[in-house]
Formats: sequence, structure tokens, C-alpha cells
Amino acid sequence: MQQPPVIDPGLQQTLASGGSTPPVFLRGAAWLGSLKLTLALLVLLVPAIVLAYNSEAWRSWPLAVPLTGLAFNLLAALTSNPAFRRQTALIVFHLALVALLLLIAAGRMSYLKGTLELTEGAWFEGGALTSTDTARWHAGDLDQVRFTNLGFTIDYAPGIRRDATRNRVGWIDERGRMRESTIGDQHPLVVEGYRFYTSFNKGFAPTFTFTPTGGKAVLGAVHLPSYPIHEYEQTREWSLPGTRRMLWILLDFDETILDPAQPSAFRMPSDYRVIVRDGAERWELRPGAAIDLPEGRLELVGLRSWMGYNVFYDWTLPWLAATAALAVLSLGWHFAGKFRRKAWDA
Amino acid sequence: MERELQVLWAAIVAYVLGGVLAIFGVALGRRQGRVVLGLLLAGLLLHTASLALRWQRLDHGPFITLFEILSSNVWSLMLVFLIAYWRIPKIRPSAAVVMPVMFVLMGWLMLAHPGEGHFPPTYRTPWLFIHIGMAKVFLGATLVALGIAGVVLLRRYGIAEGRFAALPDDRRLDELAYRFMALALIFDTLMLITGAIWAQDAWGRYWAWDPLETWSFVTWLLLAFAIHLRVTYRPLPVRNAWMIVAVFVLAFLTFFGVPFVSESPHKGAV
Ligand code: HEM
Repeated sequence: MQQPPVIDPGLQQTLASGGSTPPVFLRGAAWLGSLKLTLALLVLLVPAIVLAYNSEAWRSWPLAVPLTGLAFNLLAALTSNPAFRRQTALIVFHLALVALLLLIAAGRMSYLKGTLELTEGAWFEGGALTSTDTARWHAGDLDQVRFTNLGFTIDYAPGIRRDATRNRVGWIDERGRMRESTIGDQHPLVVEGYRFYTSFNKGFAPTFTFTPTGGKAVLGAVHLPSYPIHEYEQTREWSLPGTRRMLWILLDFDETILDPAQPSAFRMPSDYRVIVRDGAERWELRPGAAIDLPEGRLELVGLRSWMGYNVFYDWTLPWLAATAALAVLSLGWHFAGKFRRKAWDA
Repeated sequence: MERELQVLWAAIVAYVLGGVLAIFGVALGRRQGRVVLGLLLAGLLLHTASLALRWQRLDHGPFITLFEILSSNVWSLMLVFLIAYWRIPKIRPSAAVVMPVMFVLMGWLMLAHPGEGHFPPTYRTPWLFIHIGMAKVFLGATLVALGIAGVVLLRRYGIAEGRFAALPDDRRLDELAYRFMALALIFDTLMLITGAIWAQDAWGRYWAWDPLETWSFVTWLLLAFAIHLRVTYRPLPVRNAWMIVAVFVLAFLTFFGVPFVSESPHKGAV
């Protein structure tokens, strides 16, 4: 069987200095696949990394240019460099690198990142997030995801250092069944490919029922700023549901929740008041107390917690892991084969 | 705490004695393999005991404070170097290059405050051991390569040629150092992969260009560059040796510089 024509760098020089000229595409492949170009592109990657490191805005094309170059360089080398022909493991390793690049690119074009907050007992449904960063070709189905926050505990070590977070959640699985589990720290909730992570962002939520005059009561929760980071700013403006009235809500309690001197845990204060202000008027409410406003009646039901979640979607994750594993295995295989021939202490 | 520090001091004394003897051995052209091996091994055993005492007392491994990170790295670097020293007798005199580097880390360790830190909840995972284990093998392999490269360089510049003259020729040393660089690349790759998996679990993203991630990626690229440079131009052993020094310096800065100046959550020491 006839061997396909092969051009190696040594031969290239002979050709350049007077041999018969090989077809243009082979010369092109030899140039594009040259190992010198690999070195140049690797060097070019460094300023791209410096840019990416310094600014979020520089994380796509400055990296894409040298990386695309490397991918083409490699594909050309696969066809033109005889070193690859002889070394299967090396081919697998380099192909895995290209596959990783493609997967990362695909992930960058279809990911979703976001945040949301859920009051204890409330459901996430309809896909509305507090903030999102969605790639152009995001194809997931966040509207289909439903889960509920069933409450959490967070331990604190002395010095108010956050320790384990345990958040009970319930969700509806693909078959429509209700499921429950505990998430937190290393363990996200994964539904429909969306990964929900608990965050340090969590706090207290005074909960009210508002009964508009002649209307039906609605339940509303006011997420006060994250606790304990904003320990002394437990206040927020809140618009009365369905109206334009802005109320100012403050949570007031004296007891120490997180003790810097000993281990403690995030919990609801047992004795608290909620102060509601509307312009010059001011009320101090205890659970069960109500006030009458021009739009209707507002009753303090109690205090709940709320949890902030980070959402992340990237369908490439398992493929990335598998490809990375393949890359490192073939790298090991290549070097094992290469070094086995001679003892280390020869 | 007292006991654990006393044992650590004893370990350091053994390491330093072994190292000094290795350096004198090279300078005076004597063979001291067994004594040095014995002292370094004694140091390692004492060090292990000190780490175990602390681990038992604090109920977590040495991964949090600067003191702990230096201590566990001195331990793992000594372990990797000792294995190379024991298994490849030909390169034993490279201890005269490696041990001064270790002395720097040991001196720094003795100056670090031995107080305890908070063990963050994101560290309660087997990935902690896997990721850090890979990192330690990577740095260890780079250290062994550095020792061999150091011999090539010292010989080239006519320093301490005595015992070094008896070592294999530069080409052979170059080949051996290259093997350790290959090992380093494998374990550096594993470190990056396991780190990404852990970051995905702990922070909800596998890569975010935080300082430690960025520096370790550049270190990985430099390793790839060094290996490619070798297959592309077949440089002289001295040039390869300089490349190894560069990789080690970058890895060293990544391990012991970046975590302690950066403000990001990924400090290696939160
Ligand atoms: C950053 C990504 C890369 C890494 C980590 C990498 C790593 C490696 C490694 C470990 C070897 C084995 C060296 C040996 O056996 O001594 C190698 C060889 C090789 N690489 Fe790469 N490589 C990368 C990118 C590329 C690219 C873009 C090309 C495209 C030309 C390329 C082409 C080659 C060739 C042709 C060889 C075989 C050299 C020979 O044995 O003569 N590599 N590479």
C-alpha cells in the first residue's frame, strides 16, 4: 500500500533549498503545523491571559485568537508531522486538548449564570432570576424548574466564621414527583441541568399578609439585607403589593444571634419587633399585629429566613470532565511508553 | 502545641544536618549517601509525627494557615526528593542543590506563626486531598528536576565540580530531568482538573481567572512550552536546565506567593 506523502521539518528545509516543490497544500500544512508556530502561539497566549485576568470584558476574543491558532496548528500537525503518526497516545492527548477547547467554546456560548432569592417555604417557578448572565445560544429550560426552600441551618465558628450550610429543598423531578434533599457548600441542587448553590447571601424576611380593601389577601415577604454582613442595616423599602405605596421596614431585636466568642448558628431571633414607617407615621409590630392603611390592612405574620442561590448551567460539564480525564490518561500512557524502554537509574 | 513544635524543630535539625552534610560532601568530593539518607529520613519521620500531632489536636489537616501550608509542603517535597534520592543513587549529590531551596522554605516555616486557622466548609471534601496531593507531587517532581538541572548548571559554570564530576554526563542528566518534567506535567494537569472539579462544587464555576487559577495555568503553559521547546529545537542541556529553573520559580511563586497576596476566596489558605 502506498504511504501518503509526509513532510517533516527536516525535509522541508531540503525542499526549500532546491528539491522539487511539493504541492502547495502540503507546504501550507507543514507551515501551519510547524512546532515553531506552536511555540509562538503559546507565547502569544500569555498576554491574552494577562488581559483575561485583568478584565472580564477581555475573556473572549483575545483568548480565542491564539487558542484557535493552536487548534489549527495542531490539526495541521496531525496531518503533516510524522511524530504523530508513530505515537497514538500523543495523538489522543492532543486531540483531547482540541476537544476541550471546542467544549469550552460551546459552554461559553450556551451557559447561564444567575442569582435568585427564595423565602423559606416559597417556590422557585417560572424561571425569574434576580440577576442573570445568559449566553447567546442558551438552550436550557429554566421555566420548567420548580423547587422550594424548606429552610436552612448555618453553623458559625467563634469569630463569626461561617461553617456548614444545610439547606432542605424540595423539587419536582422529571416524572413530576416531589423529591427532597439537603444541599449546601459542596452540594448543589441539580434540576434539568441547572445547578443551584446556596450562597453566603441570606437573611431575615418579615412576612406580611396584605388584604386590599374589598380584595383577597396576599402574602408578601421582605428580604432584609444579608445577615450578618449587614447586621446593622436590617432595613429595606418595600412597595405594598399591588399599590404604589412605599413602606420602610426595619427589624429590631436585642439578642445576640451569632456570638463571636463561641460556636453559634444562624437562627430567628425569639423576641423581635418590626417597625413600619410610612412618611411621618410609624408603627411597631409584633407577630399578629396589623395596621390599617388607605389601601387595605397589613398584618405581620412573622419572621422567616431567605436564602440567596447561585444558578449555573453548562451542559458541557460531564463532557469536559471525561475529555480532561482522557487527556491526562493518554499523556500518562505516552510518557509511560516512552520511558519504559530505559530504566530511570540507567 | 508545645510538643508538636518541639518535634518539628527536631525534624528541621535532622533535615538541616542531612542537607549540610550533603553540601559538604559535594564540596569536599566525599560520598555520604547513607548518612544523608538516614538523616533526611529521620527528619521526615519526625516531621510526620509533628504533623500528625497537630492534625489530631485541630481535627483537620495542614491546609489552612501559612505555617501549615509551608509545613506540609516541606514534608511532601522532602518525601518526593527522598524517594528520588533513595531510588536513583546516581543523582544523590543533587541534594546540594535541592537542600538550600528547602532551607529557604524551612526558615520561612520557622518564622511563620503556628496559630490555628478556621477550616472552611468548602474544604470538607475528598477533593481537598486529591487536588492538594496532585499539586504536591507536581511540585516535588519539579524540585527533583531542579536539583538535576542545578547540577548541570553548576558544572557548566565551573562551581563545585568535585563530586558533581562523578555524575552522569549532561545528556544523561538532561534526559532524567526531562522525565521529572514529564511527571510534573502529568500531575500539574491532574491538579488543574481536580481543582476545576472542586471549584465547580464549591463555588459554582470551574474556572474564573482568579489569581491562583491564572498563575497555575501559566505555569502549566510554561511546562508545555518547555517540553515543546525541547522537541522542536533539541536545545543543549544547559538551556533546558535554565528552562527548568524558570518552571520551578514560576511554580514556587504560584504556590507560596500568590495565595498570600491575593484577596480572592481561592487562597489555598482561607
Ligand atoms: C498547550 C498545549 C499542548 C501541550 C500541553 C502539549 C504537550 C505535549 C507533550 C507532553 C508532548 C510529548 C513530548 C515528548 O514525548 O517528549 C508533545 C509533543 C508534541 N506536540 Fe504538543 N502539546 C500542546 C500543544 C501542541 C500543539 C498546538 C501542537 C501543534 C503542532 C503540538 C504538537 C506536538 C507534536 C508534533 C509533538 C511530538 C513531538 C515529537 O515527538 O517530535 N502540541 N506535546
